[in-house]
Amino acid sequence: MKIMKKASLHKFIAGAAVMAMAGTAITLGGGAMTAGASSKVTISVAYAANTTFDTTPLGTTWWGQVKKEFEAQYPNVTVKLVAVQGGEPDFLTKLALLYHTASTAPTLAQFPSTEIALYASTDYLMPMNKYLATTSWFKEYPKVIQNEGLIKGNIYAVSSGENNVGLYYDKAILTKAGIKLPWQPKTWQDIITAAQAIKKAEPKVIPLWLNAGTAAGPNGAGYGILNMLAGSSTPTIQTSSGKMVVSSPGILQALNFYHTVFADGLGAPTSQLFSPNNAPNIPSTDFFKGTLGIAVSANFIGGNWTKQVSFPYWAQASTAMGVAGLPTASGKGYASTLSGWDYGISSGASAAQATAAENFMNVAQESTNLIDAGNWAGWVPPVQSDWTVPLYTNFAAPFNEEFGKLLPYSTELPSSSNYNVWVQGMEQVSGTIAQTPSTTGAQAMAQLKQYVTNQLGPSEVTTLK
Amino acid sequence: MTVTAILSDVATAPHVGDLWKTRHDKTRFQWSSLALLTPAFGLLAVLFLIPMGYAVYLGLTNLTLVGPTAIKWGFTGTQNLVRMKSDTEFWTSLWTTGFFIAGSILGVVVIGYGLASLLMRARPWMRIIVGGIVVIAWMMPAVTAGMTWYASTTGGGTFGTLTGLHNTNFLDNAPLLIVTLANIWSMTGFCMLVMGAALRNIPSEAIEAAVVENASPWQRFRLIVLPLMRPTIIAVVLLVALLSLANFSLIYIMTQGGPGTATNILPLYSYEQAFTFNNLAYGALIGNVMVIIASIFGVLYVRIAARS
Repeated sequence: MKIMKKASLHKFIAGAAVMAMAGTAITLGGGAMTAGASSKVTISVAYAANTTFDTTPLGTTWWGQVKKEFEAQYPNVTVKLVAVQGGEPDFLTKLALLYHTASTAPTLAQFPSTEIALYASTDYLMPMNKYLATTSWFKEYPKVIQNEGLIKGNIYAVSSGENNVGLYYDKAILTKAGIKLPWQPKTWQDIITAAQAIKKAEPKVIPLWLNAGTAAGPNGAGYGILNMLAGSSTPTIQTSSGKMVVSSPGILQALNFYHTVFADGLGAPTSQLFSPNNAPNIPSTDFFKGTLGIAVSANFIGGNWTKQVSFPYWAQASTAMGVAGLPTASGKGYASTLSGWDYGISSGASAAQATAAENFMNVAQESTNLIDAGNWAGWVPPVQSDWTVPLYTNFAAPFNEEFGKLLPYSTELPSSSNYNVWVQGMEQVSGTIAQTPSTTGAQAMAQLKQYVTNQLGPSEVTTLK
Repeated sequence: MTVTAILSDVATAPHVGDLWKTRHDKTRFQWSSLALLTPAFGLLAVLFLIPMGYAVYLGLTNLTLVGPTAIKWGFTGTQNLVRMKSDTEFWTSLWTTGFFIAGSILGVVVIGYGLASLLMRARPWMRIIVGGIVVIAWMMPAVTAGMTWYASTTGGGTFGTLTGLHNTNFLDNAPLLIVTLANIWSMTGFCMLVMGAALRNIPSEAIEAAVVENASPWQRFRLIVLPLMRPTIIAVVLLVALLSLANFSLIYIMTQGGPGTATNILPLYSYEQAFTFNNLAYGALIGNVMVIIASIFGVLYVRIAARS
């Protein structure tokens, strides 16, 4: 009995010690311990309801699907989806205001890659290096996409899908113009020559779509003139010291290309280019109607012709249309801008919420979900192995696969408040050339310099020789 | 009533001399009126003075929507004012706003008066139909009006069909003129209603007397109608100026301030600075300039109305 009593006493002391330690840990751990398996955690996930996915219902379906899967896997976590209505500028304003107040800051948000540095500099985002090092999918991202959210050694956001740009062409129109298929221009002059041939053979057809003007918002330039700049001799937009480039041989090359296109009457009419009604998507309807020969356009145009998106539905698009890489000015390789939509975790999230947000991303980045998002939002999935998966390639064949192949040639756009001003200036001068084709590249570049310098001040801009 | 009672009333009535002591030709102040004014003043303070004061303060800070100074922002004195002085876009925008407002006033008053005058002479059924159509244009939301004008004035639109210039893009060729016409179109109905009411109030005797005196139609208009309509015209001018100054939606729908900066009036430039370029403080300062312009119109109106 004594032995028994002694053993019981030891058990009691040991039990009490464990309980005391656990109690201390709970007390000291605070929020972290409340995230234990049995504690309830709520996270809010903000996304653009009307702009990321090709149609609002597709977006609602995808987010609902991911939330359902996640909550089934993590029953102790409740996901509150914050669907922000409106166009992209409205979404960005609303998201900035949500972040401004700690109580409304979303635990996880999906936003354009051009906003990452801005949010990070405001201390809205939490670095996610440690988390990403543990994931299997991030290792499969091409370097250019891995670095999308990299700022001074910390990764603040991670891509959920990318947009890049290439050349679409109507095979029948090019054949009538005497151009040999498959068409792959080697230089910018090849594009001009093909457009001139189209103009001669089919006078009623718009030979070449080049996005211009401010109607499409800050993204418009990303689908237009910035691709020419990316393929120029000096593609730098912002220097390492943060100054915006307002005059360079590359900018002049890009603007001169625009001048040639519009002065020769090869570009689209301003009624389409300046349309506030979704100008970057107009090529998909023009191609469908047979009124457009070639377009410098984003990857999502191919998806527009699918039954799910129907903008418009065009079953013959896969055979009637061709895709080519946009050559650089020097003829060495291809060029494209790259911009994506990324996830970022709020710096105000508790440890438990951050873990839940990371787990939510893991579910969202599972191959099927990632490819569904790519197909329905018109993105190239960031995971390289997904570019050849039938679920992705068959959705909008051959366009999805072709744009996957072109992605490694793309370059990221900068992220800063100054970039927003610079890109506005670039869109204005591209619009000036489209409207008044007699404007030379040098005159347009002088206008760009004047506008950006006026807005930012001389200390924030620079000239490259 | 007896004589005694009458005499008693006279005795208790205020003396004529006492009545003279109260000056009725000078403004009097009663402290009790403050209590009655408090609710109105409270509302004015909460809904206007405090937000306005805050906006003035924000205009003198470095607050941004996102970026390092979105959280840690502060007073920067006259920095934004100095920037505004050398901001050529701002001065261009101010000039554009002036053209838009002046053009709108001119068009709305002339067309509004013309329609009201014609409808006075029209048959009742015609008055109902034409008046109804014009008023519908006035009641139309800015979004609908903007889209209607956008579709009509771009290539292949109604303007092109009517003029035989099918593919001419009127909106991009003369953007400021077209958005001003759209604004005139959307506000003329209001002007026509007000002018019509004022015209009906002109005494017919005055017109008849002028006719008897062989006054020409122009003399009748210049010497009788115009002076009698003056308060109405001033009210219409002021309201059209204020409504045009704040007309963000119509231009945003049609051109978003473009092409380039051709239609970038102050409300759009303020929005662009605040929400596209993230400069909330500078956007607020531009908004403050708009308040000053609106106040000038307000003061002018009050002074002219008082003189009338």
